[in-house]
Amino acid sequence: MSFDDSVPTTTPLPVPAGTPATADAPTRVLGPTGPAPTGPAPTAPAPAPRAVTTDDDLRVVAPAFANLRELAWAPVSGATWRAVSQVVVGSFGLLVMAIWLSVALSLAAGLLVVFLVGLPILVFTLWSTRPYARLERARLKAQVLVDVPAPPYRRPKGPGWWPSWVAIMADARTWGHVAYVIVAGLLMTVTTALLSVLGSFGLALVVYPLLVAVLPDTRLPAPWPLLVVGGVVAVWLAALAAQVSTLLQVRLARSMLGASPQDLAVLAAQERAARAEGRAEHLAETRTAAVGAADDERRRIERDLHDGAQQRLVALGVELGVARRTATADPDAAAAALDHAHREVKETLAELRDLVRGIHPAVLTDRGLDAALSALAARSPVPVEVVVPNATLLGTASTSAQAAAYFVAAEALTNAAKHAHAQHVRVEAAVTDGRLRLVVQDDGVGGADAHPGSGLDGLRSRVAALDGTFHLESPAGAGTRLTVEVPCAS
Amino acid sequence: MRIVIAEDSVLLLDGLTRLLTAEGHEVTGYKTADELVAALGPGADVPDVLVTDVRMPPTHTDEGLRAAVHLRSLHPRLPVLVLSQYVEQRYAQELFAGDVRGLGYVLKDRVADVDEFLDALTRVASRGTVIDPEVVAQILARTRRSGLETLTPRERDVLGLMAEGRSNTAIADRLVVGLPAVEKHVTSILTKLGLPPDSDDHRRVLAVLRWLEHTPSNGERP
Repeated sequence: MSFDDSVPTTTPLPVPAGTPATADAPTRVLGPTGPAPTGPAPTAPAPAPRAVTTDDDLRVVAPAFANLRELAWAPVSGATWRAVSQVVVGSFGLLVMAIWLSVALSLAAGLLVVFLVGLPILVFTLWSTRPYARLERARLKAQVLVDVPAPPYRRPKGPGWWPSWVAIMADARTWGHVAYVIVAGLLMTVTTALLSVLGSFGLALVVYPLLVAVLPDTRLPAPWPLLVVGGVVAVWLAALAAQVSTLLQVRLARSMLGASPQDLAVLAAQERAARAEGRAEHLAETRTAAVGAADDERRRIERDLHDGAQQRLVALGVELGVARRTATADPDAAAAALDHAHREVKETLAELRDLVRGIHPAVLTDRGLDAALSALAARSPVPVEVVVPNATLLGTASTSAQAAAYFVAAEALTNAAKHAHAQHVRVEAAVTDGRLRLVVQDDGVGGADAHPGSGLDGLRSRVAALDGTFHLESPAGAGTRLTVEVPCAS
Repeated sequence: MRIVIAEDSVLLLDGLTRLLTAEGHEVTGYKTADELVAALGPGADVPDVLVTDVRMPPTHTDEGLRAAVHLRSLHPRLPVLVLSQYVEQRYAQELFAGDVRGLGYVLKDRVADVDEFLDALTRVASRGTVIDPEVVAQILARTRRSGLETLTPRERDVLGLMAEGRSNTAIADRLVVGLPAVEKHVTSILTKLGLPPDSDDHRRVLAVLRWLEHTPSNGERP
């Protein structure tokens, strides 16, 4: 197995923490954050949505004015036909809206003066421009491929119907929609008139000489090439008019139906703030978890020392005391006590050695992760294959990153031997793209789980505190694969 | 003596049992505080002395101490020697809240000094008081009470030994001086601190401890 094909680039699936692990979902992702969907930690705020310039619209909607080739072929350009179709469809919408608005608004104005019933009519009429604006933006996107962002509307200052009415009546954007219907309606009227005249006149001039040639008893009023040229020019002008009109309409839509550049900047800033907040939350959570993990570790060491070495030493003292008291009176008893004491000393030393290694292995400090992993493998009761493609590069990772990888490997090997009953374990450590990646794969019974308080859980906190990812795959009966990645610089 | 030991470390329990059996005592061992409390319930045959560890299963906090306090309330004349891995004044305060006769509180490490341990055991069994030198040192270091500075260094040593619950004879042995010299120091200390002279060891311990623990309000004569 080569190094490369054995390392598929798995991206942790975003699974909300707290999702109950089900039997048919053996893959659990242990992300660094709490209730939010987990995944790679956001490291940098995404760039704000790029502001659309006039040039962009020009290229898309009226390319004839952006380059010469498009100018020459304007009558057969796709943009022209899109423009014509949008003029036709848009005119119908604008016509309906113009009628509705003029009737409803004059009704509202009239009733407002006499009775106050005009007010709800006014509010409803204004509000009705919003769905229209949405529809119009969607239509422009579909027909002329221009994306007009939705504007933010003024929010009611409180609960109840009156504040929401006020919010609608005081919203400049909504009045802008009304203005759009008027201005774009005028534009459409002019455009349709111009297009019909130029288009039909031009087509007639081109077709006329053909008709004359076919039909008897007719004469041309001028030489036919002149007529054809005149017709082509008329059609060409019509195409340019369609494009210009559509460009104007897009500009109108941007200023009256869409969000202003200020709105977009505010939205982008809000998004950045939300991201930063998420990041801060993530950091606070991982910091708390790291402190908790460190406390747990200290408690474990204290417990180990208290229950182990300390008790053994006290017992040793008792044995030696007995030996001294009985040395002259009962040499046999003294010898037995010394024997006991000697055994006690050796066992205490072994226990201390294990404990010290558990706190921080000297070989990791002296020789780095490669050697430390080999030492782990040598001590494991299960055969372990250690794969380190580049030990020197591995040594460049920070000591915290190496230590985290070491303890993850140690815990995984312990689990593989103790719980998974594995026959073979493969440990692989490599540095790629500034990240230290450790994969521990065994062929045991699987079903491992990093429940709170477990050794794996503590390591997950440790990895999360280093901004790393922790990915445990352990389907029942199919082995366990633990993948951990930590930034080398952490 | 009939001795009951409550200690969760099998190793230490074994060692102590062998030591005390070799000394000619009758030893019964328990590994949890619950077993101990069950064995020495109301109406049970009370041993000559109870030795208990502070930290015991199931929670490994202070079960042993709580069991000791409980058993003392049940059998007020049961001598108890509490072994603690750490010196915790809070534990000492809880233990010595009532009658201090037949009570001991020593560091577990002292067990390794077999002679010292056997001495403490005997003193507690004969209704004496034993307080670990560490505890006394902590109390002495903490006390802000005026009057202490009027003591000579030698008198301070004697005060410490008095607080540990030692008799004049034991203090004389420890300091390698004659008994009259110790008696002179004790009288001087009690006068300087304004404590009533008392030949009864346990009442003297109590008085000294109360004096050290108690911080008088301003203006009060020490």
